[in-house]
Amino acid sequence: MLKAAQPNQPDALTWVFLGLGFLLLPIGLYLALSAPPDVNQGYLVRIMYLHVPGAWLGYLAFFVTFLYSLLYLFRQDPRYDRVASASAEIGLVFMGLALVTGMLWARPTWGVYWTWEPRLTTTAILFAVYVGYFLLRGAIEDPELRRKAAAAVGILGFINVPISYMSVKWWRSLHQTQSIDLTTGKIHMDPAMLQALLFNLFVFTLLYLGFVRFRSLLAAMEARKEEA
Amino acid sequence: MKRVFLLALRDLRLEVRDRAGLLSVLAFFAVMLFIMALALGPEEAALRRAAPGVLWVALAFGSTLLSTRAFALEVEEGTLDDLLLTPGGKEWIYFGKLLFQMLLLLPLALLSLFMAAGLFYLPLERLLSLFLTLALGVLGYASVATFYAGLLARLRGREVLLPLLLFSLVVPVVLSAVRATLGLVEGLPLGEVAPWWQLLLVFDVVYLTASALLFPLVMEG
Repeated sequence: MLKAAQPNQPDALTWVFLGLGFLLLPIGLYLALSAPPDVNQGYLVRIMYLHVPGAWLGYLAFFVTFLYSLLYLFRQDPRYDRVASASAEIGLVFMGLALVTGMLWARPTWGVYWTWEPRLTTTAILFAVYVGYFLLRGAIEDPELRRKAAAAVGILGFINVPISYMSVKWWRSLHQTQSIDLTTGKIHMDPAMLQALLFNLFVFTLLYLGFVRFRSLLAAMEARKEEA
Repeated sequence: MKRVFLLALRDLRLEVRDRAGLLSVLAFFAVMLFIMALALGPEEAALRRAAPGVLWVALAFGSTLLSTRAFALEVEEGTLDDLLLTPGGKEWIYFGKLLFQMLLLLPLALLSLFMAAGLFYLPLERLLSLFLTLALGVLGYASVATFYAGLLARLRGREVLLPLLLFSLVVPVVLSAVRATLGLVEGLPLGEVAPWWQLLLVFDVVYLTASALLFPLVMEG
């Protein structure tokens, strides 16, 4: 993502992403708050406009980490590692947002903040994997070994995502859970709600792209300072 | 292929000759199972219900004690670089170490299953199915553990770091292994246990391939 070897300030594209993201954020918020209430859940459903983009970006960010970890292992270029770790960091923030909003949503709808439902469990595991990613980065002093080890976790950790989703299906076939499936609700959605959701997804993605580029730049500057 | 066996057999011989490591792991299993049985109380039904979870947590904890041993000797003796210098691909080192881990872990796992059976009133009628679950679960665990042990072999704080990293990654394996064991113990028909075996198998294959592919990339340089 960062092509310049010695960048000193964010490039134009980073500013475009961040600027557009923050500019459109209030509009997304307005759309979310003015969207029609849900038949069953009423105004409660508006948590979705924060919850779904958070989860989506968590997955996207971890995918980017996976991709750049692979690139790093094959090319051994520290720039790829910086993007991977920046993406993991931001992914962790978004994933945390999804978990927190999910819990706030679960309390009034399911009656509890947390239940060991497959999707919740797999998300929590995913969160723990990337917390481990940063624990590892913090624990290794040798920069090259740190990058390699982090890349390994970034790759192996991501493998968890698709498999965990298959486990959801297998679990379902065994045990019937009464909890609401958050993904199937999307299909029977009012067009106005869908529009608001898609718009918010778009805005959050812009912000993510801006954040990653910005964080990678910071990491590059840190690395240069460390060397100097 | 021959190298894989040679490496595993050499490590196994060293380990068995040493004995102290193996015995301490075995003692760890026994003490842990005993304490958990004490903590959970004398009620038979409750003990039986908790047994699969306790067994797998004990296995996971106990095998982290073993996983660092796969590469510990190589690092102590400075022979890891010699291994890496041998011509050809590096995957065989990973497979050799993995085989070594499995050869150690499988008997230990079987022993701890018997211990758990004694302490937790586990029925052992379906021993073969239980053993299959043990093998699949231990393989999933060992595949990642061996990989990380190799990666962190030269690191000082590896004894603490390894379990931290490992546990979050292998939670799915432990989870499905617990479910399969629970199903077997509760006497569910095999058809209902099979999906968990499938899941374990998928984990094993994916972790094994990914680790074997990543190992040379990570160990070189």
